[in-house]
Amino acid sequence: MKLSVVVGIVMLAAIPIAGQQPSTYKAPRTPDGQPDLQGFWTNSTYTPLERPDGVTKEFYTPEELAEVEKRAAARESEQTEPGTVADVHYDFSQFGLDNSQATLARSLRTSLIVDPPTGKMPPVTPEGRKRAADLAAARKALGNVNDAVQNMSNGGRCIIMGGSGPPLMDAGYNANYHIVQAPGYVMILTEMIHDARIIPLDGRPQPPSGLRQWMGVSRGRWEGETLVVETTNFNGRNPFRGSSENLKVIERFTRLADDAIQYRFTVEDPSTWEIPWTAEERLQHTEGPIFEHACHEGNYGIANTLAGARLEEKKAAEEAAAGGAK
Amino acid sequence: MKRALAALVAGLILIAAPVRAHHSFSAEFDVNKPLKLEGTLKKWEMVNPHSWFHLDVKGPDGKIVTWMVEGGSPNQLIRMGVTKNTVPIGTTLLVDAYQAKDGTAKAVGRNFVLPDGSRLFLGGSAPGGDGGTK
Repeated sequence: MKLSVVVGIVMLAAIPIAGQQPSTYKAPRTPDGQPDLQGFWTNSTYTPLERPDGVTKEFYTPEELAEVEKRAAARESEQTEPGTVADVHYDFSQFGLDNSQATLARSLRTSLIVDPPTGKMPPVTPEGRKRAADLAAARKALGNVNDAVQNMSNGGRCIIMGGSGPPLMDAGYNANYHIVQAPGYVMILTEMIHDARIIPLDGRPQPPSGLRQWMGVSRGRWEGETLVVETTNFNGRNPFRGSSENLKVIERFTRLADDAIQYRFTVEDPSTWEIPWTAEERLQHTEGPIFEHACHEGNYGIANTLAGARLEEKKAAEEAAAGGAK
Repeated sequence: MKRALAALVAGLILIAAPVRAHHSFSAEFDVNKPLKLEGTLKKWEMVNPHSWFHLDVKGPDGKIVTWMVEGGSPNQLIRMGVTKNTVPIGTTLLVDAYQAKDGTAKAVGRNFVLPDGSRLFLGGSAPGGDGGTK
């Protein structure tokens, strides 16, 4: 018992505090001399993007973090009430999809956001609020979200999911990445849903503003030990937290240890937020390889959902006809 | 102090709870059609975004109907050492499920249980599996 307490304390003490700068650690080198970031990494975490209401400090104590993680893990394994809509789902813990069964990127931080220092996203501009309202109205005009493929979410249609980035964010499960370096290039593969970003490092300019992509267009450079990647030219159809097509994401990858990369990203979008904001994650080494996430090929859910919607329409029409006949 | 921590934890969980499903399961399956299926495994599609178990289920009339039962993404199971041979074809499975809205022989598997009462894949272990290595 005493030993387990001691071991627990030692383990907690070893939790790296995201935010610390690498001091003596020097990353291994690729054959062409780049700091080596290659391998399999995860940002699976219990740390929220924004600091929870009521929390005023930047870091938990190790004891508080242990409590936070314990409760979050217990919550994940809770069964939903049978017969409720929430219960109409497979149990994700049975498929290992809860964070407690994944490799965790642990941090004492109370939020991923480090700037503003409140740990909260900055205020949205009037333009950003109007765009969000216009989008919501346009979405509503399309009808029920399950009535037509075009109404469904990007993720439901297997077009793109939240983890693809940039920035790289825990997609909820399968939050894994594969980084590969070659002379003049870095490639980041996101498991969800098998999106690869190929980032040239040769100083080439961004393409013209008319060329826009789902994940934007990325250009990278080394600043000492840190890989800096700037991405613009987003198509605006996969907004990050309400961003516009004017989004610019600046990512900084610095290897902290053999098993960790510090990952900071700054988000600039004057069309959406009054000031830029910055978050910091830990990318934790994890086991590979990554099984392909060939989402579209296996997406039987679309046909099943549409079949359900057609049946509901038929029922509604029959009920209306029966009502009219009375 | 304890109360303050509890409040802070509750806040964290609310915000941290991610959207787990990549689509709405209640649009695909009917909460008013709960089922208990017992069948033998005919095929397991280890595909994304969700895996599918094909089960031969004997109905009250003695006829065999093949049901397709939806489960989770297989990627993490694969990391844990589960392969397509982990659950042998012919394995008996008991599934708490909800049937597809359109009334066809499709369902989402709420919980997959083996005849001895143990849960399939808990911790990555299953009959013939390599255990919970990760």
